[in-house]
Amino acid sequence: MSLLLASVGFGLITSAVLAIAAVAFTLQFAVTDVLNLAFAAVMTAGAFIAYLVNQSGYPVWAGLVAAMAACSLLSVLLNYFVYAPFQRRGSAPITLVIVSLGMALIVEFGTAAIVGGISVSYSMSQGSTVGLGGLVFTTVQLVIMAVSVLVMGFVHVLLRYTRLGKAMRATAANRMLARSCGIRASRVIATTWALTGALCGLAGTVFAIDVGSFDPSSTDIFLILILAAVFLGGPGNAYGAMLGALVIGLATEVSAAYIQPDYKYVVAFVLLLAMLAVRPAGLLGART
Amino acid sequence: MYYLIILLVYAAVDAMACLGLSQQFGVAGVTNFGFIIFQAAGAYVAAVLALPPDTANGGFQSYLGGFGLAFPLPWLGAAVAGGLLALPFTFLVGRRLRGDFAAVGLLVTAVLMNLLVMNYRPLFNGEAGVALVPAPLRQGMFVATSDRYQYGFAIGGIALTGVVFWFVRRITESPYGRTLRAMRDNDKVADSLGKNLVALRTGALVTGGAIAGLSGALLVSVIGVWSPAAWSYAETIVLFTAVIIGGAGNHIGAVLGAVLVPVGFEEVTRFITNNNPDLPPNLLPSLQWVAIGLLIVVFLWVRPRGILPERRRMASPRPAGLGAGGAASAGPAGGTRAVRADQAGAADAPILRTSRVHRDFGGVHAVDRVSLSIGRGTLTGLIGPNGAGKSTLLSLLAGTEKVSGGQIEYEGRDITSLPAYRRARLGLVRTFQLASEFKRLTVMENLLSAVPGHRGDSFLGAVAGRRYWRADERQATVRAYELLDSFGLAEHADDYAGDLSGGQRRLVEIMRALMAGPDMLLLDEPLAGVHPALARRIGAALRQLCQEGMTILMVEHELALMDEFCDPVIVMADGAVLAQGTMASLRERREVVEAYLVG
Repeated sequence: MSLLLASVGFGLITSAVLAIAAVAFTLQFAVTDVLNLAFAAVMTAGAFIAYLVNQSGYPVWAGLVAAMAACSLLSVLLNYFVYAPFQRRGSAPITLVIVSLGMALIVEFGTAAIVGGISVSYSMSQGSTVGLGGLVFTTVQLVIMAVSVLVMGFVHVLLRYTRLGKAMRATAANRMLARSCGIRASRVIATTWALTGALCGLAGTVFAIDVGSFDPSSTDIFLILILAAVFLGGPGNAYGAMLGALVIGLATEVSAAYIQPDYKYVVAFVLLLAMLAVRPAGLLGART
Repeated sequence: MYYLIILLVYAAVDAMACLGLSQQFGVAGVTNFGFIIFQAAGAYVAAVLALPPDTANGGFQSYLGGFGLAFPLPWLGAAVAGGLLALPFTFLVGRRLRGDFAAVGLLVTAVLMNLLVMNYRPLFNGEAGVALVPAPLRQGMFVATSDRYQYGFAIGGIALTGVVFWFVRRITESPYGRTLRAMRDNDKVADSLGKNLVALRTGALVTGGAIAGLSGALLVSVIGVWSPAAWSYAETIVLFTAVIIGGAGNHIGAVLGAVLVPVGFEEVTRFITNNNPDLPPNLLPSLQWVAIGLLIVVFLWVRPRGILPERRRMASPRPAGLGAGGAASAGPAGGTRAVRADQAGAADAPILRTSRVHRDFGGVHAVDRVSLSIGRGTLTGLIGPNGAGKSTLLSLLAGTEKVSGGQIEYEGRDITSLPAYRRARLGLVRTFQLASEFKRLTVMENLLSAVPGHRGDSFLGAVAGRRYWRADERQATVRAYELLDSFGLAEHADDYAGDLSGGQRRLVEIMRALMAGPDMLLLDEPLAGVHPALARRIGAALRQLCQEGMTILMVEHELALMDEFCDPVIVMADGAVLAQGTMASLRERREVVEAYLVG
């Protein structure tokens, strides 16, 4: 198997995992107007919840469900007790970003205080390997990609065809206007936190499965990959986030095959900065 | 004893860093989440400039360079390196990118740089960093371990912090500092008043970066090691916490925050040792970070302006002897431009001409191939129903928004591709429909901020000091008092503009635009919310200005005012110009009446 093909395989898995997180992050930003830098910290917390469930003898899938529920709840609480009060007061966007950074510290190091700084991994079988047109995946990897595709389909259907999705898009476009059109914006926003929080927990667990072992400081790398994908595609644009995740996942893994693997994240980073400089609205964003 | 001295040096390092950060974040409104990499870079450069070549120590550590330079040079190099490092990031904080997005870009940069340095050994010696950095002036007259040397170092560090304090204060209290604060409060408006946002933000990044670099040099000189683990992005958050708690934009607050947070908090908790073997080993450091996070969130909620909020800058008293006289008005805000206007060709040529200017938003033609010309010295009215494209047209003329097509000529010159601040410097100044005062500047400061060509309104002018720009400031103040008198707002000169009533804020905006000494004013509903009697007085004043040679294009809904003061009047509907003429003639025309006057 060629190096290129192998790295494309890795890239696809990374993309699949990243896409779940990036879509959730970007929806959160679009609908709630919070650039939630605590997202990756919540993700890692979710991964640890799944780990604790897994350690108590349950399969990792049970842990995943628990992580989704916990992250969903945590996100709703974050909004209710922290972000929403600041927004009601009319705080500047940059104030909210700083607040979210503070929450990121609280969640990340709160997790570290509880579980310790150790690196852990789930006890699970990777399943048998499957060859697919020259690419070789484990069963688990295939399942991860299937889950990701399902989530993308779910988000697409949600946004395009459901009442909630339309209300979310309306709230994202203009919250005041949506409210005066009879959309209960605060309820839509709370639902968005719950939904994206669940996706955040899913992404955290799947990320942890994918990378093998993780610890509370994994948060940092999660965060920059998510931000790279989201800003590459265009902040607030769900399809942009999917595309951004695909590009970032492939770019990091394929470049890792050819340059120093330590430098693979540099590619994501350069892509992100270049996009911010040249086209701040992102690949799929509107031209300004 | 040694511990106390180290603590003093740490205090100096943190105070210096907080001053740099406060200058960027509190004064200029540039949120630099990557601040710590500037400190790290300065420290590294100071280390390698002071160290001998790395072959000299048997190759136990590798680093770039190794120049063995004598004392002040490594520190100077650190400041220069911190400043230069800022340059590649200026594209992030330029005109186009939202402040919070730029902050995210800088955060990602900081996380990534740290990751790279830690994991990739060849370049910066990986996680091990650099050790055995020589302390300054160790050889020769001082014995490094002596108490006297240590004390001297601490005192030197504190003195250096004092110099930095003096420097940032000199900048902030100058007209240039006022411009920085104006940009912080509303960058779009500062742009429209002729302020070059990219240059201003670059200045803030470079200044803060140089200060951060210098603080890094101080730190690396006292501890002797440069370890990348100590420069994680989270350290930036500690500094932000300090600045927020102390009071962003207040330099004494920055020093106070530095003493309270990084020094007090981190160093004091060092004494609380973890003797309980049942607890996880890193529980306390983790909880320390949790506490930092809590401090930020709680402070931003309870006391968002910090312990020592930014000071209110009182206006200098009305200069004596130059009371309400007219002679003084020919200051920097006065007639300088009128001279140039005369040079610009025939007086009867239109001052502004557009040809087929249009602007699309998605599929909507907000402004649809508008061609018009504005005669010099006219007070032209622009009316039309909501959504007709009046405000968008004004934005296109002022350069706040870019045209999708067409051409704009001003004083016979094609300005279509000029940015807003360049157009303002040519004398084409606008106001905004929505309140756009600089909220945390006083009314007087709002007015003074608009003065073009002020000697103190540049980095070098600010550094040169008050003596260099005092005369300009005095002239501008006289002019501002004249305007305040004629608009009846003199007693509000020292009020924060954000605390005024809606109508008063409109007046501040008009006065501020006039302070810019425009040849042509673009006013977007200047009289909305202004008391009708006052509105008529202002209308008369505007007409008077036009008789003196100024040109005004004014969007207004109050047709009675149009009747009385504006000639000609342009009617827009659905993005296009529908008609043009005197108000009386427009009332005769059916399509105009249908589009606007009746509906």
